[in-house]
Amino acid sequence: MRKQWKKIAIGTMIVPALALAGCSSGNNGNNGNASASPSGSSVVSETGFPLTEKPVTLKMFTRIAPANGPFKDMPVFQDYEKMTNVHVDFTEAPTDGFQEKKNLLFASNELPDALYRSGLTQLEATRYGASGQLIPLEDLIDKYAPNLKKLMDEYPEIRSGITTPEGHIYAIPGIVTLGAARTDKKWINQAWLKKLGLQMPETTDDLYNVLVAFRDKDPNGNGKQDEIPMTARAGTPGQGLPIVNLMSGSFGLDQQLGYNINIADDKVEIWMGSDRNKEMLQYLNKLYKEKLLDPQLFSQTEAQYLAKQGSGATGVFFDQTNNNFLPIQDQYTGMAPPAGPHGDRLQAQASPIARDFGAFAITNVDKYPELTMRWIDYFYSDEGSTMLRFGREGENYELRDGVPYYTDKFLSVEGAQGKITPYAGGGAPHLIDDHVASFINPPQVQEAQEKLDPYMPKVRYAAPMFDEATAQKVNELRNDIDKYYEEQSTKFIAGALSFDKWDEFQKTLKKMNIDELQKIYQDAYDTMKK
Amino acid sequence: MKSALDQAEAVQGAAAAAVRLTPRRGRLLREMAKRYDLYLMLLLPIGWYLLFQYGPLYGLQIAFKNFSPAKGILASEWVGLDNFHRFFDSYYFNRLLWNTFTINLFSMLVAFPIPIALALICNEIPSRKFGKWLQNITFIPHFMSVVVIVGILNVFLSPETGPINALIEALGGQPIRFLEDASWFKPIFIGSNIWQNMGWQSIIYIAALSGVNPQLYEAAKMDGASRLRRVWHVSLPGIVPVIVIMLILDIGHFMDIGFEKILLMQNNLNIEASDVISTFVYTTGIQKGEYSYTAAIGLFNSVINLILLLLVNRFARKVSETSLW
Repeated sequence: MRKQWKKIAIGTMIVPALALAGCSSGNNGNNGNASASPSGSSVVSETGFPLTEKPVTLKMFTRIAPANGPFKDMPVFQDYEKMTNVHVDFTEAPTDGFQEKKNLLFASNELPDALYRSGLTQLEATRYGASGQLIPLEDLIDKYAPNLKKLMDEYPEIRSGITTPEGHIYAIPGIVTLGAARTDKKWINQAWLKKLGLQMPETTDDLYNVLVAFRDKDPNGNGKQDEIPMTARAGTPGQGLPIVNLMSGSFGLDQQLGYNINIADDKVEIWMGSDRNKEMLQYLNKLYKEKLLDPQLFSQTEAQYLAKQGSGATGVFFDQTNNNFLPIQDQYTGMAPPAGPHGDRLQAQASPIARDFGAFAITNVDKYPELTMRWIDYFYSDEGSTMLRFGREGENYELRDGVPYYTDKFLSVEGAQGKITPYAGGGAPHLIDDHVASFINPPQVQEAQEKLDPYMPKVRYAAPMFDEATAQKVNELRNDIDKYYEEQSTKFIAGALSFDKWDEFQKTLKKMNIDELQKIYQDAYDTMKK
Repeated sequence: MKSALDQAEAVQGAAAAAVRLTPRRGRLLREMAKRYDLYLMLLLPIGWYLLFQYGPLYGLQIAFKNFSPAKGILASEWVGLDNFHRFFDSYYFNRLLWNTFTINLFSMLVAFPIPIALALICNEIPSRKFGKWLQNITFIPHFMSVVVIVGILNVFLSPETGPINALIEALGGQPIRFLEDASWFKPIFIGSNIWQNMGWQSIIYIAALSGVNPQLYEAAKMDGASRLRRVWHVSLPGIVPVIVIMLILDIGHFMDIGFEKILLMQNNLNIEASDVISTFVYTTGIQKGEYSYTAAIGLFNSVINLILLLLVNRFARKVSETSLW
């Protein structure tokens, strides 16, 4: 009896241990590899509304941000359904864990008709496109997406940024022609500057001195040393350190090709192991050590960071808009990038016009790809974007000189704005231009952007599209290198790693084949130039 | 000596079994027919194992393939040991292995004896009421979810608002950023694990202790054994078989404990000490979609686990006559 019990016990134990490895696979469904769409195209009308005479339901997978309400309650989707005769059934996955849910959709091959606000990476688009799970969209765009096509003709970099070397487009980006929506402004507490009789900092040394004064001279006048001289987002692991991206320009470190890359004389240089980068990390380390940088810089949540913006107890921080500190907005003003020790003055951090890559994609199970393309295209017009961003006229917004503004009544309800629009939380597939920017680009933000404008790089190359094999290689290299760079930079800044180890850091980057990665980017750049 | 005897017995048994093979099988069937209702009940767990434990083993083959979801498991291209090579050559290989090993080893060294000690204490406390109270207090934390536990850690250890650092500062020290310091990670992780689980794990020992023959205690008392002596010579030997079984069971989980908790506590500043195989599999495999690569890592992990288990079981059988099989 006892022996038997033991046998069962051991069985129960080994098996789960072995199964651990297999648990992430669980897929054998191979339902419909055919990328050709079955007929159904006849439903779609070529132009005008409704898009179809016969009501159609599309299933879409989407990300719901903490600020959003349910998509089915958003006026834009309710009204648009009436307009188009297309009902969209949204599966909403919260931002936390969205990435893994999305991956599992593809891995299990249980796909929706389309992915909305999906934030596909270039690798994902190429990989799932090559495997046939995402369908190529270039012909559909030509025929059924006049608004999008117009934008792509007007800004050729959009097309080059989303087309694979084989000439396919597997995902549509969110397009931002409004410059101010592509940069994080450098906000500085002008009330404190004035109170302490300080000048606007022009160099990194000035900035250091100003931050010291913010720390020591009690600018908020409460007798306590509770000011946070400078803070920034903590960032998402695997996506770079915001503070590095925001300060690199002052040290001559640009961010070309969507990566830590400088381009000079047609030569691509990945600068992570360079001396300039060392200087920058040393500067940030100095700030951190002297408590000029927020000690919670690496651990704070997004909510904590936003609260700091609104608290007025912060000297310098970075954000795209002033939306998070509206009640005390007069305290802050935009700052130009400070000039570094070698005189570099660059706003390195900025997104390309196709800002949100992979915002929308159509899968091979969609029976109505033409209809789906027409459905999404509307949001790339001013009219559609207004509807998406502002909701219902009268109820949510009013037109002033033809430009939509949220009504004061609507704005007075706290939290209501993010509930009605899928753009709150970022990444929605639509057009952001001057016309729809009254809320995110008020005069204060425009002014802050003007401070940055003279220091923008002359050309900004978007991240290149690789073919599948190269994309896989880049992914393998970058998985290791990016993780390493992020960890080590964090440690350098926080002082957990001494700069004596810099040589070792450089050597390890070499060992991780950073040269090979640089070569791949160089090739991609050369092809792009041709 | 013992093992020679065992062997002799085994040989005899085998010979006897060979002789009686056919009648025995008939008896088994008759037996099964007679108690068919019990065997029917067994079908459910067996089905569960086949479906959820053995079934997924089929997917293990993707460790040797370049898995593409659209092609499916079978049709994906075979790449042999490439995925394993990539892992062994990876910069993170040594660190992952080291952390996985040391975290588990220290957990085992420190955390394993504590529930035993707790059980012995509970057993010796004269007041039953206090004993029960102690038991309850210590096992309540077991029912808290990992997220809550890590939340508690964050609050208590926060350098700005946490009571621990407030105490350190009151005593004239500098606040310590416990959760952003690689050298603090393992003590905090293991310490909080002990706090959370010691009560729960002691239950089985308390149960085993209640099964020790009271006559043995009385005899020891007669012989003038002190309380400590009685614990040492009666209680402890009485539960050694259970201890060994528990140890082997723990080894069975050696390579995969605490995944969620480590992931929740992990950040760039402590990752040197907190990066373990299971979290690496999650961040690379699930979040970045590298299924084949991480299946290979997972398989490697499981194989090490299995080897450890076999070794410990053999060792336990040699030294203590108690083992799982």
